Amino acid sequence: MNQTLVSYLSQYTFFDSLLALFGNNQGVLTFVIYLVFVLIIVGMCATIGGLGTYAERKISADLQLRIGPNRVGPYGLLQFLADGVKMITKEDVMPNSADKFLFYLAPLLALIGVFATLAVLPFSSGLAMADLNVGIFYLIAISSLVGVAVFLGGYASNSKWSMLGGLRGASQIISYEIPVTISILAITLIAGGMSFGTIVGAQKGSPINWFIFHNPFTFIGFFVYFIGALAETNRAPFDLPEAESELVSGYHTEYTGMRFGFFALAEYIEVFVVCGVGAALFLGGGNLPLPIEIDIIPVQLAQFAIFMTKALLLYYVVIWVRWTFPRLRVDQLMSICWKYLTPIAIFNLVGCAIWVVVFNGHSVAQILGGH
Amino acid sequence: MFIHILFILSATLTLAGAFGVLATKNIMHSCIFLLASLIGIAGLYATMGADFVAVTQIMVYVGGIVILMLFAVMLTGGKDFVSKAQNLLGLAPSMGNKFTYSMGLFVGLVFVLTNAKLLWSVAFSMSSNEVTEAYPSTVNELGHLLIKDHVLAFELSSVLLLGALVGAAIIARPRKQ
Repeated sequence: MNQTLVSYLSQYTFFDSLLALFGNNQGVLTFVIYLVFVLIIVGMCATIGGLGTYAERKISADLQLRIGPNRVGPYGLLQFLADGVKMITKEDVMPNSADKFLFYLAPLLALIGVFATLAVLPFSSGLAMADLNVGIFYLIAISSLVGVAVFLGGYASNSKWSMLGGLRGASQIISYEIPVTISILAITLIAGGMSFGTIVGAQKGSPINWFIFHNPFTFIGFFVYFIGALAETNRAPFDLPEAESELVSGYHTEYTGMRFGFFALAEYIEVFVVCGVGAALFLGGGNLPLPIEIDIIPVQLAQFAIFMTKALLLYYVVIWVRWTFPRLRVDQLMSICWKYLTPIAIFNLVGCAIWVVVFNGHSVAQILGGH
Repeated sequence: MFIHILFILSATLTLAGAFGVLATKNIMHSCIFLLASLIGIAGLYATMGADFVAVTQIMVYVGGIVILMLFAVMLTGGKDFVSKAQNLLGLAPSMGNKFTYSMGLFVGLVFVLTNAKLLWSVAFSMSSNEVTEAYPSTVNELGHLLIKDHVLAFELSSVLLLGALVGAAIIARPRKQ
């Protein structure tokens, strides 16, 4: 069964009084609940994306023994708001021979693709917009809109640099989807379902039950996923599409003001989504370390906090990696994907399948514990 | 009610996208309208409870086919493809000529006439109560069907795809001088 936010909320008593408020019209109430929570989650994730730019600058400053932004607000925390205001007030320049329609559409497509993935992100066991049966599959599918957007941004600008960046971006996103998807497939094999509820629910209890520790193959699979996800979100060391030493700024070279901001925001939110998916698939998601079965609001809040902590820690690692490793060359990028990551991911998938059959789905800890 | 809103939105997106594909003169724009139309179709599948088919539609068409089309158009000179074919009546969409329009009309008529009986019965027998919000999962059933009943078709299509992959590798391989 598909679990949605509305079906989760309907088990509480205040749902009935809400229903009465809307004249017992379930359809309208469903619509209103979704609208409110979409606004909350999109607003929250946009703030995370904005703070991501701040974190990026602050952490890079730390790694390079600088201070970083420190003027706007305490510790420079409000820097991203100042940046936003600056971007909105900037002139919206469009190249003369650009394809107007596609040029305007590309940043919006990037944002749509990223925001659509938020629908299935399991913030806690109750606070997920929709726990689809095909949750993780939906996420992989809809995030390919970002690839289209990157490509279109490069094409529509009608500039050589943008075009090269867009080409690189699209081919990179398509290529790295394969190892990422295969390593996710191994997890769905073990969990026995593609919905985030099933996957996260199978990792209840202590960290030893997390899928990353399930067997040796999933342990490798996590790193394959993480590297592939870095490349899919065009983050360093795989930021070839926007390699500033070669391509000025890649597919968003010609974008100014808030349109550039949309691309940047989409990238930062996508990094958060990817980290959240990694946390949910491999690191136990929002499960409490204690076996608490009761389902009350404080438990949900604790789950939310745990999920966010894990996702943001991974986010920190992503930024850390960016400022530590040098950029790859294009041929190295493709050979890493096709000659190393994809074979390893396929090996992991076969290994997981054999493990599930031989050990009847038990994890290493369960086998050692004598199950 | 909720599902009806979603149905109307998806149907509008599908039709508007399909019209856009025909109405624009720029082939890149056609690709993007096609994208919208395909997403609308995925929405239609989703409102009918075929969740796996809906997501596969997005996966295959948005993530694969449309990007492939964009690549193909761009690498073969996207801008030069602005169509110069003659317009029917001077105001109709420009991606075809009299012959293609009359063929399209003919095929459409044949399709409607052959399926009229089926469509008629479906259109008047469907009660709105059938559409509920939660559906049982179709994924497990699909998996069983693919591996048991339709395993031959499944394997044949995978051989076909393998052949396509090998062919692409042979064509793209650098030749010895």
